[in-house]
Amino acid sequence: MSGRRLRDWAFWGLCGLAMLGSAAPAVSVLVSVVHQAAPVLDWSLLTRRSNAGGIENAVLGTLWLLLGVLVLAGSIGIGAGVYLAELATGRVARVLRFGSEVLAGMPSIVIGYIGYVTMVVGLHWGYSYLAGVIALSVLVLPYIVKTTEVALRQVPSALREGAVGLGMAHRQVIWRILLPPAAPAVVSGVVVALAISTGELAPLLFTVGFTDSNPSLAPLHQQVPYLTSVTFTDLSLPGARAHATAAAAGAASLAILVLLILLGRALSRRSRLATAQMTL
Amino acid sequence: MKPYVLPAVLIAAATALSACSSAATSTTGSSSPAAPATTAAAAAASTTTANPASPVALKEDGSSLLYPFLQDVVAPLHQQFSNITLQPAPGGSGKGISDAISGNVTFGGSDAYLSAGQLAQNQGLMNIPVVVSGQAVNYNLPGVKGLKLTGDILAKIYLGKITKWNDPAIAALNSGLSLPASTIVPIRRVDSSGDTFLFTGLLSATNSQWGGANGPQFGTTVTWPAVSGELTANGNPGMVQTCKATPGCIAYVGVSAEADAQTAGLGEALLQNKDGNFLLPTQATLAAAASAVASSVPSNLAVSLIYQPGANTYPIANFEYIIVKSHQADAATAQAVRTFLDWVMSPTGGSQASLLAKEVFVALPPSVVTKAQAAVAQITG
Amino acid sequence: MTTLTQGRPAAGQASGPRRRAALRLLERADPVPVLLALAAVLPTVALLVLAAVMLTEAYPAIVFNGWSFLTGRTFTMGNLYGTATQVRHGFAAPAGARYGVLPFLVGTLLSSLLALAVALPVGVGAAVLLAERLPARVQAPLGVVLELLAGIPSVIFGLWGVYTFGPLLSRTVDPWVAAAGLPWLSGPVGSGQGLLTASLVLAVMVVPIIASITRELVRSVPALTKQGALALGLTGSESVRVVTMPFIRNGILAAGVLGLARALGETIAVLIISGNALNTYPHSIFAPFATMASTIAAILDGALTDSTGMALHSLAEVGLVLLGITLVTNLGGRLLAQRFAATGLPVGRGV
Repeated sequence: MSGRRLRDWAFWGLCGLAMLGSAAPAVSVLVSVVHQAAPVLDWSLLTRRSNAGGIENAVLGTLWLLLGVLVLAGSIGIGAGVYLAELATGRVARVLRFGSEVLAGMPSIVIGYIGYVTMVVGLHWGYSYLAGVIALSVLVLPYIVKTTEVALRQVPSALREGAVGLGMAHRQVIWRILLPPAAPAVVSGVVVALAISTGELAPLLFTVGFTDSNPSLAPLHQQVPYLTSVTFTDLSLPGARAHATAAAAGAASLAILVLLILLGRALSRRSRLATAQMTL
Repeated sequence: MKPYVLPAVLIAAATALSACSSAATSTTGSSSPAAPATTAAAAAASTTTANPASPVALKEDGSSLLYPFLQDVVAPLHQQFSNITLQPAPGGSGKGISDAISGNVTFGGSDAYLSAGQLAQNQGLMNIPVVVSGQAVNYNLPGVKGLKLTGDILAKIYLGKITKWNDPAIAALNSGLSLPASTIVPIRRVDSSGDTFLFTGLLSATNSQWGGANGPQFGTTVTWPAVSGELTANGNPGMVQTCKATPGCIAYVGVSAEADAQTAGLGEALLQNKDGNFLLPTQATLAAAASAVASSVPSNLAVSLIYQPGANTYPIANFEYIIVKSHQADAATAQAVRTFLDWVMSPTGGSQASLLAKEVFVALPPSVVTKAQAAVAQITG
Repeated sequence: MTTLTQGRPAAGQASGPRRRAALRLLERADPVPVLLALAAVLPTVALLVLAAVMLTEAYPAIVFNGWSFLTGRTFTMGNLYGTATQVRHGFAAPAGARYGVLPFLVGTLLSSLLALAVALPVGVGAAVLLAERLPARVQAPLGVVLELLAGIPSVIFGLWGVYTFGPLLSRTVDPWVAAAGLPWLSGPVGSGQGLLTASLVLAVMVVPIIASITRELVRSVPALTKQGALALGLTGSESVRVVTMPFIRNGILAAGVLGLARALGETIAVLIISGNALNTYPHSIFAPFATMASTIAAILDGALTDSTGMALHSLAEVGLVLLGITLVTNLGGRLLAQRFAATGLPVGRGV
């Protein structure tokens, strides 16, 4: 008996170690980035551009790119997820689902390379906002498709049947009946997609370029600054100050990340409450 | 061919005018200096340099070594030519060249000149030198100051043939120093780099195996021989950082990062030049390297400053190049490009001491400026 | 619409009211399903376009290199500044150029499998603890930490790996491992750039994928079964082993495969930490190495200066091999996933 108890303790102890091993790196990364950024951490970072040791243009550019991904990948991804969960049948559905899942494994550097060849050079878009948004969207689309589809499949069939039985148009069925209860999961999928977009570098290196100016609203031919590029570039520039700026840009992308996570949680809690009211 | 005087006069005029306009009310600020300058330009020819009549954004991508310098010249350039805005980006030399070819950017920045193949393949593609840069060799041997090295010894170190600091070949050059018996740790760049191009250029010039039929080549991305214990680093700061953390290391570092290397306590090696003298990279020895080739710069301006003759010539120096197509999209862009290039290599413009000093760059010798300006005058819209 | 005509005859045998309801949605003329179908086709179209472009870009290299690409141990771009070229099957490359993918292939597989070997037990252990033992108020903040871990940019992992984690390993763990003198686990420790550091950082990046999927899997185990096991007097760990694990085994395998796919394609972090050794196999676990993805990023800039273009085409061929491996890995993960659940798994790194 005591041997079994001992084994039990040992098992949970190992699980505890595993938990520590999972969580400790996150804490260590946060601490080391903030520590390296400390010499330049100051609100004026947000009002100076990258040629003056600030990150104003990079923050704006990153947010501008995120907005594009939200619109493009969000609409297509949720649409595709709805289709795969509610409308697609048989082999076609299997093929489309498979295509999307394989796309999820596409290495980001390959997406960047192809974006460069096809859009930047091939279509003469130059380094541009649109090329970057499309490259990022291709990267994150499968996450949104998958989470949307899984979320919709978890909506009880009774709701679906009832709505169709009542003669609701499918536009209404999807919007009023199916999406609200699935919303928390759908939103968290979109938030994950935005989080990935915030941190990506490889697909952007060859598609949006970089500039010290603030991002313009032009979709083509204008380069866009973004945070991960500042981190990557300033690391290989001489001077301790450049390295601190690199870490500060990293800290800023982490801050956007934390905001996205909290936003996702808040949104999903709200829609969970709304759903609870609706089904009652 | 344009005499050098004309642009200089125009620049002076534009400077005076922009100084006036900045003192005057801001409503006339941007257009007033443009008007007289363009009139003068139109009277002369279509290849002059002046503030263009309408705003032009000059997009640059390329060398990360040139990038901090270009960032610094954006403001003074715009101040003098209110319709020219320079937008530099640090994508790397190779990307700068291919972006200039594909037209993604107005021009690229490169630490290396164009290869014969690239020049042959892209009619009208030019490499125009704008400033002189160089490279130091640093080492981490506490207490050892003023180490002397030759290109051949460096090649043998990176080939794995010389592995100890007290190797007879090194000891013979440094009789006054007490060298440790420790292992030499060669550090090389991971990224494709102009610094690698320069360093391996010296190795090829001084060692028979390097650059030979079966040996390693010189270039921005080199297939290095595997040396036991070797390390790699990303960018010049990575070289400094890694060397600082590794006693016994040796590293090649661009001169613009030399202040970092000094702060990190690394030693700076005196390198043997072609005349047999041992020198450190300074503005004087780099300028001597540029002067050494000044009379023999070919018309395509692609020239190596590595291991040039002259008593005071440092063996690892280079021109920083702007890669640009001779035919631009329109006349205004062509005029802005000409104006920028003329201005950036002028001692009263971008090549003024205060802008160069920060990166330890050196202005082009006057005779090279003249040759470069002849090329600049070929840029048309 | 093809879905409609294919779907209708099957509807009679198809089980479940969901399918019937779905079909009725389709039967009304409305642009919405068309738009949705269009959206659903896009990821697959994107995949085909990506594959086609990659194939086109790599084609000259495939012809030029032949099989020697897969067996070659050297990747060198030759003399880019000379004018001499070598021509094979009508395609030219600079003199002295040779393109072999084998060391990158070995580096990619080795680092990813090492990462998986570490991440799998750690991720599963953490998820089991999180789902089975910890109270809800602890679960939420730990969930946030895992979510954050999943989203940390790889360039920041690179920073952390090269300045914080790598040096820490080389001072503490590495000398201790090297002292054991086991073959391949000894040798010069270096500064912390190399296979071990890169694999561990990859493991850190893969853990949230495995942990999040496992956590969902553990929650999907019927509570009644678990309670039954406990009622029979089994300890918590025995219940996990006897009840939970068999229930979710295939799911964990699939999670592992998805984690592997993430590690295989990682670029920037590996680029910064791996030490990027060209043309050698890692002769010890501390040695520098390179992966296919990191090599593409590291030498693409240099390849752009090759006026014959063959260096670029050969890098595209490296990308094509990477793509092929990713495809096979995803296929494997999908087959495993099919065995355990109809709905499939959440893809990738999300929590």
